[in-house]
Amino acid sequence: MFLLNLPRQVLSLDPLPAAGPDFGSVVGDDAELVEMEPETRQEVLENKDVVVQYVHFDGLGRTKDDFVMYEIGEVFKAKNLIDVMRKSHEAREKLLRLGIFRQVEVLIDTCEGDDALPNGIDVTFEVTELRRVTGSYNTMVGNNEGSMVLGIKLPNLCGRAEKMTFQFSYGTKETSYGLSFFKPQPGNFERNFSVNFYKVTGQFPWSSLRETDRGISTEISFPIWKTSHTLKWEGVWRELGCLSRTASFSIREQSGHSLKSSLSHAMVIDTRNSSILPRKGALLKINQELAGYTGGDVSFLKEDFELQLNKKMIWDSVLSASLWSGMLVPIGEKPSSIADRFYLGGPTSVRGFSMYSIGPQSEGDYLGGEAYWAGGLHLYTPLPFRPGQGGFGDLFRTHFFLNAGNLCNLNYGEGPKAHLRKLAECIRWSYGAGIVLRLGNIARLELNYCIPMGVQSGDRICDGVQFGAGIRFL
Amino acid sequence: MSLVADAFVSQIAAAEAWPENAALYQPLKGEQILLSDNASSLAVQAFLKMCNLPCQVICRANAEYMSPSGKVPFIHVGNQVVSELGPIVQFVKAKGHSLSDGLDEVQKAEMKAYMELVNNMLLTAELYIQWCDVATLEEITEPRYSSPFPWPLNYILAYQKRWEIQRKMKAIGWANKTLDQVFEDVDQCCQALSQRLGAQPYFFSKQPTELDSLVFGHLFTILTTQLTNDELREKVQNTETLIDFCRRIEHNYFEDHVKDTSTSDLLRLPKGPSMH
Repeated sequence: MFLLNLPRQVLSLDPLPAAGPDFGSVVGDDAELVEMEPETRQEVLENKDVVVQYVHFDGLGRTKDDFVMYEIGEVFKAKNLIDVMRKSHEAREKLLRLGIFRQVEVLIDTCEGDDALPNGIDVTFEVTELRRVTGSYNTMVGNNEGSMVLGIKLPNLCGRAEKMTFQFSYGTKETSYGLSFFKPQPGNFERNFSVNFYKVTGQFPWSSLRETDRGISTEISFPIWKTSHTLKWEGVWRELGCLSRTASFSIREQSGHSLKSSLSHAMVIDTRNSSILPRKGALLKINQELAGYTGGDVSFLKEDFELQLNKKMIWDSVLSASLWSGMLVPIGEKPSSIADRFYLGGPTSVRGFSMYSIGPQSEGDYLGGEAYWAGGLHLYTPLPFRPGQGGFGDLFRTHFFLNAGNLCNLNYGEGPKAHLRKLAECIRWSYGAGIVLRLGNIARLELNYCIPMGVQSGDRICDGVQFGAGIRFL
Repeated sequence: MSLVADAFVSQIAAAEAWPENAALYQPLKGEQILLSDNASSLAVQAFLKMCNLPCQVICRANAEYMSPSGKVPFIHVGNQVVSELGPIVQFVKAKGHSLSDGLDEVQKAEMKAYMELVNNMLLTAELYIQWCDVATLEEITEPRYSSPFPWPLNYILAYQKRWEIQRKMKAIGWANKTLDQVFEDVDQCCQALSQRLGAQPYFFSKQPTELDSLVFGHLFTILTTQLTNDELREKVQNTETLIDFCRRIEHNYFEDHVKDTSTSDLLRLPKGPSMH
């Protein structure tokens, strides 16, 4: 039942939680939209036909009119009041998602003036634009490393939600910077274009390797049906070197400069309810990269995928299964570079093994492999006896896991049967249990007790308690 | 490297005998290596041959980046990696091979002084001609140095290297020298070496030392390398004793290994690999 105070009483539409411009809430949840003044005359409007005559914007500065037009176009198509409310709400969500407004308020009012229709409605969006320049400072947790990030952002640079960002990150292992420009298609935020310039320095102690990348990349993202696609061209100048004098000679041989120019395509279908500790849904990511056809001196074809399925079970527990796999085929005479190969092992992939310490190695330095697979089966349950239920305790889960995987080099003359046999022999696996802590909606921490099995000579294991932090987990 | 690490390395080195599979790494011989790197590499090769230690020469386009000090050549012996002549002499000494053990303290000091002279004069002059003389830089150095790299890395890396060398030249006060002054320095250096050599077969009478290998490496490379003009070569050719000296070392240490693919084509006076 929807009520509107007449003759003229403004109705404020504020369906979002008080937390601010956070667009994570549910669309179309219009059950609690009403502000009533009980003493005035009331009329039931639920099914009354209305016409949206005007949409006003208050507070637009540098944002271009034509750009916001695309976002609110649907509001004019509303036929009754509930429709107006729903469409306005959706428009508000869309406006907030552009990342150019700090606040968006919607006011729905009866129309007045000479040309006002008896059932005419005015919708007013009261917006507050973000400042021209915003700075940020935050700390980030990546795959087993922490860093401090200083950022400068220029949102809505030219008035059509273009964004320029500069980021400087000083980390425990690496220092890097990046400059990026982002432009969405008006009216279709998911279709966007971005250009990045960056320099990233990484240290990889498991390989005694230091890598400095300087690169340019351009990418276009667009949705097709339920999938989202990204096409990317990347040119990277890579400089490899030894981390220490004692690095093995196989690593030393890889030192020097190379230029990779690659075209890649990524497809993602994500129906999970959350990217960290999801309760239901599935994720499929397919990535393919072709290097060498657009220049540079590195040629290969790389394919990999990631699959995750989540199923809700009794007592609030979730069963999650994931499978990763990838293959790298060097093109031409040159063998693959250590910087392009796959690595496996560690608290974010096959638990119970040290970070990236599975597979081919030379004097304790891991060289990576050209093919790999890894699978995981997890049972997530709430903490025993559920302390802090409904609050802090919900950030934690206990989990039981079974991980398995293999990483090796293939001889491409042998054919697919031999490849499968090679990938199926010497499988590393591990099982155990632990506690998972969810950090916001981006990262998670794990403390596990692991029992590694199928250990091959040369693998480095972490038998017992293992701590892991990261974004991407098997 | 710290002194402790140095001491540690030499102790480990002493424990193991010289292996058969020792290797010397240098840039690609045909299309990449520069005069100065070739000279340094030849000096180390001559030194190892004088010590009678087998060493295979391996050419790699990324030799410069593989080297722990960023300079070529370097040797890979067992699991040790040592670059440049000075440290290699120390390393070999730790293994029990030395060419200068027979010298007294005064002679050792004199040998070190002459080695410094060669490094400061001949090597610096080679670097100056390669990277600061525009004609040589454009015609020889840049195309050769950047030959293994794809566009645009070839320009970037050659420019980086050029900038690095020119900064070094500024630091040692060579930046304002003219080409003629550099040739004059080379000439004086050759005169000094020739006078010290006199009528002896080697700098310290009958036995060669690391000084002989260093001088040979540089002079032989200068004599056999075609640059944009012949002036540098002529400065060396003016001193007959030094040409004889080069012929002697070539004859004694390289000619019986002519079949050895690593050095055979390099060492035939007066012809040599053209740097064009």
